[in-house]
Amino acid sequence: MLSPVKLWRNQKYTRELLGKSGKVVSFTVIRVPPAGFESQAPYPVVLVDLGGRLQIGQLVDVQAHQIRTGLRVRAVIRRVRQPDPEGVIPYGVKFKPVV
Amino acid sequence: MQVGVLGVATTKFGELWGVSPRQLVRQVVTEALAQSRLELKDIEALYVGNMLSGILGGQENLGALFASELRLTCPAFKIEGACASGGLAFYNASLAVRSGVFKNALVVGVEKMTDHKPEEAAMGLMGAGSDSERQAGATFPALYALMARVHMQKYGTSEEEMAAVAVKNHYHASLNGKAHFLNQITLEQVLKSPQIADPLKLLDCSPISDGAAAAVISSGLPKSIKPIWIKGAGVATDSLGLDRRADLTSLNSAIAAAKTAYREAGITPKDIDIAEVHDCFTIAEIMALEDLGFYEKGKAGKAVLKGETTLGKGKLTVNTSGGLKACGHPVGATGVKQVAEIVTQLRGEAGKKQVTGAKIGLAHNVGGTGAVAVVHIFSS
Repeated sequence: MLSPVKLWRNQKYTRELLGKSGKVVSFTVIRVPPAGFESQAPYPVVLVDLGGRLQIGQLVDVQAHQIRTGLRVRAVIRRVRQPDPEGVIPYGVKFKPVV
Repeated sequence: MQVGVLGVATTKFGELWGVSPRQLVRQVVTEALAQSRLELKDIEALYVGNMLSGILGGQENLGALFASELRLTCPAFKIEGACASGGLAFYNASLAVRSGVFKNALVVGVEKMTDHKPEEAAMGLMGAGSDSERQAGATFPALYALMARVHMQKYGTSEEEMAAVAVKNHYHASLNGKAHFLNQITLEQVLKSPQIADPLKLLDCSPISDGAAAAVISSGLPKSIKPIWIKGAGVATDSLGLDRRADLTSLNSAIAAAKTAYREAGITPKDIDIAEVHDCFTIAEIMALEDLGFYEKGKAGKAVLKGETTLGKGKLTVNTSGGLKACGHPVGATGVKQVAEIVTQLRGEAGKKQVTGAKIGLAHNVGGTGAVAVVHIFSS
């Protein structure tokens, strides 16, 4: 299902975002994940204001009690989801707190 | 051209493991045609609302599939717009009848979801989202939770107000024998139900359901039937992803679609007696009541908690079917079921859930997190 061509084509969006930082404007914790994300649940998902534009992403390297609106976070590269048995490993942007 | 709805039908919604989509469609078409006093040979076009048959069931080409199941060879179309597929199918069918090309058009909404694991259904539904939402591992409960949190911060909307939507809709569903859930629930049960995507809990969320609904639209109106008129219709779109929205507490598509429908009908929100709104999550009903102009921003949750939109209580009654929350949400069927409920109410045939004297009704059907919205206004 994961097309290597599509992953390659979309790398430019990942490059644009990497290293950018901003503030969490809303957050949730997903307890019932979609297929491919089962091993990560429960996991927080945040909307981040990157200075005039919003970006959605997972929040990683964080303790539950740290998650709040206003938290400063930075875009980092991480494995996105469980790959297909013989497919490429999909990497993309997630956020982690700025310490 | 004046166009009306002659007949409507819905199946029982729920976990219908013993029934196929073909059987669901045959059942609603037979009922809707009988109510319309028409036969299959009178149908000149078929519009099928469905979202997930391809991604979950591996079956596309539904226009031809259901036409042949009904032994029709007329033009047939599948219309897809995520959870607004049913409303959009109805919209397209009524446009075709208004244009004069077809005299009688049949609309069917159908979805079979419970044959699949929740993770698969969630993945399929995320087809309605954006690439970045899928990459985040987001689900629809999560996306509405992100909106809910901003609504709570901006307007002081409480978890109790959201829970009141679920309590009301379960009460209405308890009067609707075809609803997925027939049980009433309490505020406390909603607030204590397990978290799905904080702050949305299990009982804030509509279920995964199977079901079908049908409607017959016609410009030829037999004297023996009192049609329900389509007075106004609007469709509008917005970004697929939440992260490209200007405002997270309103659905701009719904505001725009409603504006078009009100203008065409020549009425204002005050004139509406009954509304079926898209309560995929409890926060969605609160936003809908505001987007449709029934309440100012930040006031709808308080009104629902006070019971203003409950059957027999106020000027406007909302989601007498039980809404998506309690009647169930077979996504392609939902928009057509909303129309069926409004038509049945305006005819005064809604039984125990009848709103006394209902004359003007509105149906509000949303796809994605508001990437598309369709609003219809009907009158007796």
